[in-house]
Amino acid sequence: MTTWKEKLEGQMPEDWAREIDIFENQMELRRQGKVEEKLFAETRLRRGAYGQRYDNGQRNDGTGTKPLAFPQGQSTKGPDTVWDAPGMQRIKIPFGGMNPEQMDVLADLAEEYSDGICHITTRQDIQLHYVHFEDTPPMLRRLAAVGITTREACGNSVRNVTACPLAGVCRDESFDVTPYANATMQFLLGHPDIQDFGRKFKIAFSGCRQHACGLVTMHDMGAIAVTREVDGKTVRGFELYVGGGLGAVPHEAVLYDDFVAEDEILPIAQAISRVFARLGEKRNRARARVKFLVKSLGIDEFKRLVEEERKTLPHDERWTAYIEELPAYGEKPLKDGSALNGAGRPEGFEQWYDTNVYKQRQEGYCVAAVTLPLGDITSYQMRALAEIARRYVGESVRTTVGQNVVLRWVREADLIELYQELDALGLSAPGAESIVDIVACPGTDTCKLGIASSRGLAAELRTRLAAKAVELDQAVRDMRIKISGCFNSCGQHHVSDLGFYGVSRNVGGYTVPHFQVVVGGKWVDNAGSYGLPIGAVPSKNIPDVVTCFTDAFLKEREGQESFQQYASRVGKKALKEKLGDLTKVPARDDDAWYYSDWGDPREFTIGDMGTGECAGEVVSLVEYDLSFAEELVFEAQLHLDDGQFEAAAEKSFKAMLQGAKALVKMQFLDVTDDPDHIVSEFRQRYYDTEVFFDRFAGGKFAQYLFRRHESKEGAGDAASARTLVEESSLFVEACHACSAKVQAQGTAREGDATSSVVTLEI
Amino acid sequence: MAHSVDNLQRIGVKFFLSEAPDPEKVIGVFHRWIQNGSVDGMLIDVADYSHVEQGPGVLLVGHEGNYAVDWTRNRPGVVYYRKQPLEGDLGERLRTVCETALQAAELLEDESDLGAGAKLRGDEVQIFANDRLLAPNDAGTQSAFQPALDGLLDRLFNGSSRQLCRDEDPKERFNMDVKAETGAAAAALRARLND
Repeated sequence: MTTWKEKLEGQMPEDWAREIDIFENQMELRRQGKVEEKLFAETRLRRGAYGQRYDNGQRNDGTGTKPLAFPQGQSTKGPDTVWDAPGMQRIKIPFGGMNPEQMDVLADLAEEYSDGICHITTRQDIQLHYVHFEDTPPMLRRLAAVGITTREACGNSVRNVTACPLAGVCRDESFDVTPYANATMQFLLGHPDIQDFGRKFKIAFSGCRQHACGLVTMHDMGAIAVTREVDGKTVRGFELYVGGGLGAVPHEAVLYDDFVAEDEILPIAQAISRVFARLGEKRNRARARVKFLVKSLGIDEFKRLVEEERKTLPHDERWTAYIEELPAYGEKPLKDGSALNGAGRPEGFEQWYDTNVYKQRQEGYCVAAVTLPLGDITSYQMRALAEIARRYVGESVRTTVGQNVVLRWVREADLIELYQELDALGLSAPGAESIVDIVACPGTDTCKLGIASSRGLAAELRTRLAAKAVELDQAVRDMRIKISGCFNSCGQHHVSDLGFYGVSRNVGGYTVPHFQVVVGGKWVDNAGSYGLPIGAVPSKNIPDVVTCFTDAFLKEREGQESFQQYASRVGKKALKEKLGDLTKVPARDDDAWYYSDWGDPREFTIGDMGTGECAGEVVSLVEYDLSFAEELVFEAQLHLDDGQFEAAAEKSFKAMLQGAKALVKMQFLDVTDDPDHIVSEFRQRYYDTEVFFDRFAGGKFAQYLFRRHESKEGAGDAASARTLVEESSLFVEACHACSAKVQAQGTAREGDATSSVVTLEI
Repeated sequence: MAHSVDNLQRIGVKFFLSEAPDPEKVIGVFHRWIQNGSVDGMLIDVADYSHVEQGPGVLLVGHEGNYAVDWTRNRPGVVYYRKQPLEGDLGERLRTVCETALQAAELLEDESDLGAGAKLRGDEVQIFANDRLLAPNDAGTQSAFQPALDGLLDRLFNGSSRQLCRDEDPKERFNMDVKAETGAAAAALRARLND
């Protein structure tokens, strides 16, 4: 029987084919138990083969946690990751650029090995879900045969290099960053200097400062195209930023250099990689991103080290070889440009044209955005879209960080016909890059870390907002909503007008899905500022939060201010007050609807839960105490907004102490207010016993408290204060999670709350 | 000479529905099926793609195969497609896949929550192959596949006349649309397969 390996022989780049063969061999060795599972997990991740929810071999079906009896039993492909369990395959699409041939293959793979859906991510990748691991090698070969590699799509490596999807046709860019993004990807792919990172490293390119397309400030390394006049000649270069990142504690990237010449961008990237590999944290994953290294060294020292490293690099022809070819680089339109004529316009066209069509700087051409709900496109649609691309634009298709696809170089005169063809495929939804076009990470649908259903919420909001999109005021339509299923920010909730991230709260002994409401983030200016949470709201009330805030915005808006400007002017306190009763959860007997998540009728639970009377009393106390801790976090934010950094730092520490004390009181009511006493009791009862540990984050959040307590550090500047506030927010969330976990496991027993020393039985 | 399609394992089938049921209700039904182990196979999770127009709808993801109430090309139907190998020759594998799909269809027809939306048309079925290597969408595959298909259809539609149609786009997966002169409910179709 012919295999894909035989069929595609000679069609794959030789080195890629060899790498896939080696990977297939490693799979076999792991199957035989000859490769250690942690090592194999990293090997697998570096091929883009991720785990997925329930791959630990168990799932709560709504009545209790049940084992999933996979045929190969407990054979694993990584720690706590069952071999047979379906996983996610991430496919790198450098700068989001795809050609129709590649789109065809992606469609085929989704159909044959996944669930018929290609999912576009917030970093221009494509992900396939529910993939059986055994199918990985043929998938990788079929991708390699059309020039796509999944190498380093995950793992501690340089991830997909992203770029503005309008690069080359944008009206505002300094120059087209596409070839630079591509060269960076090619140069660093598999490079020896990126093989020893403690964590991932993300790179983005943007053609301008003011738009959001590149999101430079939230990347480990971000480059904005700039030009300079030197001796009467225009010279290209990049304003280079380092140390940005979202994650649990977001950091805005800091300026490394206001002008790195184009021929220096690759060697500088290489030198940064070497410094990161050599000095970056390796053991503590929670502090291993380059943002922590930049912060601990300071940008001046970091830059000095990079420049020293740069001097030692052996010359590499690839640093500049692509630059010599740049004059010949450029996309060729398929057809001659011509303006939209007076032909009859079908129903829906005008609305689509208003939101989904961008006039290129090249006369007579447009970029048409194909809005994909939650970033999803079916195999059939993808294949048909590839055919449309062949006929209208040739090879100019890109994915976007907004989880859409754009067709570039569409002749304006073809727009009506194009719209009709997209409409027939169910791909003509208007509202690209508007409040309707909600970004969401996979959340509890497929992600192991998801707490609440980001996609379920996004689908609900999208349905509601799309129904009234035409009536919405332009100021509201221009807003952005981004949703993450947990604090890890894959949905980029920090950089939107309204951001939400999933948390949970214990109500009467039941776990209720909630979302933290994040306001004040800025999408434009390459993700110019980050928002902060103002309070947790039950998941089912989030649509009302959106209505509440958009209504208030329209009513109280001054002049032409954006929502972000409005939020900044009225302040978080006033916004939080507007939440009012929306934060409340009715008793389960009165309304059980709140106790399940969007799109998932199972009772929202982490296991079988008890509702004993004694536990109820303890719950009341701990919930009350944690609520006070949240209030302190919020006050810290207000200080931060007012520029009172020391006060913000002090308040955030108090919030952490209050959270820790709340937990200690579950076992030992007589804990004092002395910080030393609280921290000591907390460490002994919750950290040393690992009761506080998150399944994935371990003791990371407790370290925030310990570090702060030991260092007594204040806040020197806004960035430091902000970090302390973020950390206190996450610590208090972790206290909530711990409290829920302890109660779920029935360990808060009668007498615990009043006895002086209690050992948890977990 | 044997054709590669004889080795085909990734077989799929879609029985078309009279109208589209409410996807939200289908989600609830599929979760209940997992709790009760209502259909064959090791059931893992429910995937909701009802937000995608003309998409795969709501899937009940299993280890051996996936079930779905599918909306592809705006034509609702009950789908089952196999992901793991089956016993028997091509004809037997084809019958097993159809039988599994009809078991699900029968249960859906009995779901009072779904109302009339989950009633099978019973006179139309689509067979497809999720394997472009073993079953490219061409005339060669069709003629090699035909004997097994005829054997299935003779039983399924009691020998009544039927029309066969294939979307010949070579990029599509191999597919055969079958429209019979007379149809039947899921239970009756399933019983015929087991006769």
